[in-house]
Amino acid sequence: MTTLTERYLAAAQRGIPEAERADVERELRSSIADALEDRVTGGEDRAAAEKAVLEGLGDPVRLAAGIAGRPLHLIGPELFVEYRQLLVMLLSVVVPIVAVVLAAVSLAGGEDYPGAILAGLGGAGNVAVHMAFWVTLVFALVERFDAARDARNEITGAAGRWTVDRLPALPPGRVTAGETVGEVITTLISVGGLLWLNGANWFTDASGDVIPLFNPDVWAVVMPFLIGVLASIAGLQVIIFLVGRWTTPLAISHGVLHVAFAAPVTALALTGNLINPPFADAVGWPPLAEGNGPVMLSIAAGTVLVTAWYIFDGFRRARRHDTAEPSVAAGEPGRAVR
Amino acid sequence: MIDDEVLGTHRQELRRGTVVLACLLALRAPEYGYALLKRLDAAGIASDANTIYPLLRRLEERGLLASEWNTDDTRPRKFYRTSGAGIELAAQLMHDMTDLTASLHALNGGTDR
Repeated sequence: MTTLTERYLAAAQRGIPEAERADVERELRSSIADALEDRVTGGEDRAAAEKAVLEGLGDPVRLAAGIAGRPLHLIGPELFVEYRQLLVMLLSVVVPIVAVVLAAVSLAGGEDYPGAILAGLGGAGNVAVHMAFWVTLVFALVERFDAARDARNEITGAAGRWTVDRLPALPPGRVTAGETVGEVITTLISVGGLLWLNGANWFTDASGDVIPLFNPDVWAVVMPFLIGVLASIAGLQVIIFLVGRWTTPLAISHGVLHVAFAAPVTALALTGNLINPPFADAVGWPPLAEGNGPVMLSIAAGTVLVTAWYIFDGFRRARRHDTAEPSVAAGEPGRAVR
Repeated sequence: MIDDEVLGTHRQELRRGTVVLACLLALRAPEYGYALLKRLDAAGIASDANTIYPLLRRLEERGLLASEWNTDDTRPRKFYRTSGAGIELAAQLMHDMTDLTASLHALNGGTDR
């Protein structure tokens, strides 16, 4: 045994669970010695033979992974499709929104344009790294948990986790006109509601002017944007009706628009910039406008929950339709089955 | 003439499942890793050391093999032996393998080649 073998054993050991190490090392050591002796008896040079034996065993990291039954990949083929979908969706929806909102907030805070853009990009980069990291971590953990089960199934033959019970139901027909009209009206009512809430004559100040509900500085900048987003949502509903069914790109656009609405509302509520402070004073309860007050916290939480539901619902509908159309999901085994 | 690489890949696929069966059959008589490798090789079952060692451990974990250290020899060796459950599995797999070969021959038009 020379240092080459010792180095090989040490490298392989690193990947073996503590409890098995001694046993694995002992077996590998004697196996290498057996193979080496065999070659030397056959007339090979000892140094060359040792090299050949170790190279025959291959990469020690790989060998150790095989012995320990661990996967050599972070996320395997079973999870990869879901992983990529989720990551792409989160990054493409959330990151641009965060960038825009942060830029808008620092602009409103008196920052100049280059500074605001930098703030937006920096914050968005931060969020992107966090999202990618946490999503990857969760999937990697699921992969490891699942891999143990797969390894058991491999030899015991207890595979076959998929049954026809798992087939998604056929989609209910195409998107109906009634559904679309309902959605569009709901959206337009939201626009009207926002305008009415702000303009209604709740209170007047000393000079007799109406005190607006929403912070007038913010209203001027954000409200046109929000109304634009709501109008786009109504437009998207019409597009979905014309297409006849939900598709993944439509669900993504739907999600993007809802996040575009929810992100500024949540940000404004939490920073205390949504409600006009004089309005809160007029009500007689200044905490109403405060970012960490109960009302603003409820609005933020409610907005996030409702938006999450909207996004989920869009993807759920798109998935129902996709899974029932082999042409859409061609090449994905288990999905193309009617 | 078929591409060597294509042939190699498909041969490997074809043999992958049979290595387990070969080990279970061969180890009805206790043997240590390296000797098993030589024996499989001599029997015409190509296998790599880096496949066999992890496989032996996995089969042992599943209770299809039992192992024992033998320290009587010049160097200590881990001997594996097919367990009762392993023998049962091997018999079933061997049966399936025979059926499979017969099915393939039938598909091939009832001739051997």
